[in-house]
Amino acid sequence: MNRTIYTPAAGRAFICALISSIVLLCTPAAWSHGFAGKRFFPTTLVVEDPFVADEFSVLYRHIKEPGEEVSGPSVRNDSLDVEYSKTLSRQWGVSIAGQFLNLHTNGGNKDDGYSNVEVGTKYQLYTSAAHEALLSVGINAEIGDSGNASIGVESYSVYSPAVFFGKGFGDLWDNHPLLKPLAITGVIATNFPSKTRSNTEEGPVRNPITVSYGLTLQYNMQYLQSFVRDYGLGAPFNHLIPVVEFDMSTCTDRGCKGDTTATANPGLLWFGKSFQLGLGAQIPLNHRTGDDIGILALVHLFIDDLFPHSLGAPLFGR
Amino acid sequence: MKFQPDKTVVCLLALLMLGHTAAGWAHAFPEHAEPGAGAWLAAPPHEVLIRFDHMLETSFSSLRVEDAQGHRVDKGRAQAGSDDPHLMKVSLPRLKPGIYQVIWTAVSLDGHRTQGDYLFTIR
Repeated sequence: MNRTIYTPAAGRAFICALISSIVLLCTPAAWSHGFAGKRFFPTTLVVEDPFVADEFSVLYRHIKEPGEEVSGPSVRNDSLDVEYSKTLSRQWGVSIAGQFLNLHTNGGNKDDGYSNVEVGTKYQLYTSAAHEALLSVGINAEIGDSGNASIGVESYSVYSPAVFFGKGFGDLWDNHPLLKPLAITGVIATNFPSKTRSNTEEGPVRNPITVSYGLTLQYNMQYLQSFVRDYGLGAPFNHLIPVVEFDMSTCTDRGCKGDTTATANPGLLWFGKSFQLGLGAQIPLNHRTGDDIGILALVHLFIDDLFPHSLGAPLFGR
Repeated sequence: MKFQPDKTVVCLLALLMLGHTAAGWAHAFPEHAEPGAGAWLAAPPHEVLIRFDHMLETSFSSLRVEDAQGHRVDKGRAQAGSDDPHLMKVSLPRLKPGIYQVIWTAVSLDGHRTQGDYLFTIR
């Protein structure tokens, strides 16, 4: 089997090529990100958004996770996730994502490298301004063996069809207006491995089908201030969005049926004119997910606002 | 290629600066409104004005006020950006006590559109 070798020069070349491609993509027109009517849906920390947009995200994550073996050492995991999303039309977008991982085991071993590259596409099927609602479908593919073997990337690909949704509560609960700034978003995806079995250093292993599901609950202070009740909040509080995200995955077959990992991720998001920041905690909800609390930090650029007439515009349609 | 925190911080700062330099573009959000969302007023206001965090495209931005039955009650033709490109306002006749809804659409100079509405009450 041919294995792609990633060197520092190759990494820099990839980043340069990516940036060059971004700069060279020039088409007219601009479109918006994350809106359903007056509701602005921010980019969340760990649960994928339901909307199609031109955006660029960098997420730093620090967490100590349990090892793969029950009695094995835990692993301290520092990662930098980068994702670029591009609209092809107003409803249809594509994305590419990569991750640099730095792993430290309690036994003293250190490894770092790139995880497998992920590509995806998403179509926004339904948007209701009146009901502040979004529904999208998409598929993501983690390309097997595209990362570094040193961090134990999978040799097989994983295909993940998914359904995404978002709903603001602005059209509900007229008797309780302070609940109107609430919104939820969510995703459910099934992850199909391209091979049912693969060989590792420890021998052959079965690759299960898993189901991933996530839910976010968010409270938009800008919505409160502008559309419900003006409390005179100034910057930066008028653009804050407290959020809690639940991120879960359950194995469905091949020896691990029912095994679930789950985290709760409370955080604070703040959105500005052309970028968004986020800071959160990653709290394990069961023993499979570990005992330690992790840290999440997000920098997110609204490419459609930064380059409305070129890179931030859909390739087709206005 | 090792993970280098110092270079990562520099990259993130560069990204933020990139975002900051483009502040003339983007979606327009309201910064301040008079009367504000959810306001209870003892006296009827003479006008409704909303200040946005971006300059507005005057031709496509709009502001209107409706009563509880959905009838338009403002004096028509909102002024958007005539003397202040961040400001949109509309004059009102003397309104009776009741609940009124402000409905606006803001188009920023780069063509991005935002919209919103809110209620205020005259006692």
